[in-house]
Amino acid sequence: MKQFDLFGNEIIEDDGKYTKKIELPLYEPKNTKPHILELSDRSKARRLINKIRNSNVSEEEKTFLIGAAQRHVIFNYNRIADYYAHSSKEMQELMEDSALVILDFEKAIELGYAKLSDNLLQTFLDEPSK
Amino acid sequence: MSQVNNNFAAFILSHGRPNNVITYDKLIQHGYTGKIYIVIDNEDNTADEYYKNFGKENVIMFDKEQVAKQFDEIDNFGNRKTIVYARNVCFDIAKKLGIKNFIQLDDDYYWFGHRTKDGAKTTRSLDKIFHALTEFVNNTPITSVCFSQGGDHIGGFDENKKIRRKAMNSFVCSTEKPFKFIGRINEDVTTYTRLGGLGKVFLTINNIQLDQKDTQTNKGGMTDVYLLSGTYLKSFYSVIVNPSCVKVKTITAKHTRMHHHIKWDNAVACIIDEKHKKK
Repeated sequence: MKQFDLFGNEIIEDDGKYTKKIELPLYEPKNTKPHILELSDRSKARRLINKIRNSNVSEEEKTFLIGAAQRHVIFNYNRIADYYAHSSKEMQELMEDSALVILDFEKAIELGYAKLSDNLLQTFLDEPSK
Repeated sequence: MSQVNNNFAAFILSHGRPNNVITYDKLIQHGYTGKIYIVIDNEDNTADEYYKNFGKENVIMFDKEQVAKQFDEIDNFGNRKTIVYARNVCFDIAKKLGIKNFIQLDDDYYWFGHRTKDGAKTTRSLDKIFHALTEFVNNTPITSVCFSQGGDHIGGFDENKKIRRKAMNSFVCSTEKPFKFIGRINEDVTTYTRLGGLGKVFLTINNIQLDQKDTQTNKGGMTDVYLLSGTYLKSFYSVIVNPSCVKVKTITAKHTRMHHHIKWDNAVACIIDEKHKKK
């Protein structure tokens, strides 16, 4: 039976497919803005936090554990990039501050990668066949 | 003509196998003409043999306990027989040597080359490849870039996967972009997922590849640690740090074993064109 995560994506068990989306360093955001609730899956973190809040440990311990539980929030970075592209300037800047997207200023990464690829290709062509 | 310069060096990270630093000769055989330093630690009782084999000026010893205080090992086992200490000290060593860029390499690489859909081709031009990788790191916001490994191409080379957001083994770095590796073992995975989630970019270039001796078959180095704990424990270091995107599951190559599995959609921020930023 097919399994799906909370974002509706099929969970693929084949380990070799995990980088399929990463063909080039750059991601092209989609034309539609996702709902903000689609950007992260907080279900596990929420379960942990509820359990912590209902526990008898000290308030300091609760604060620490609740902070640690945030590590279980699952972010969907594709959707975050989609959301960024359709957000206000202020929201964009706050997202940038939190490194939720990486902006390729002046196409530095894209052009740098293109140059690297050219250099490696030329080196490859120049190598003796044996 | 050599394309490497005085601002670059290759650091070979080694421990306990002074007579089996395979990478040293292989670098030269594959066309590297620049500086090579062997990085060892002060808990290595074979140091004198390293000095004898490579010359004292080419062997750099660091204080392992001191380096251990500078990053999170993730455990308190006290077993420091792993590579992460050497990985982290490379930035300081490079600065002291006045070197801006370096590549850090394990000591058991026996092949460097190109990989395409038509197969593999040995390189004799490592100078040019290192120069190209260094330029890429220096002229872009990329934190570090690596060669691919044989395991990246299981199932055949994929033309659509020329670049990956992972980085293992052969880190090309700049002292102007220092970072700390995290965790006593599995430090590469933990680092590129943890720092990748915080906006640093680590990449593997699939068109270039290196091969190394199989894990758990080459005496010395970290083999003892892997034999002691297996790859199951190793993988869990990355889960501890990044439980939202790293899992442990079985993989089967020669033998079935537990290994980390990264859910990339949930691991690292996307790189997008500047045009999407509102003015």
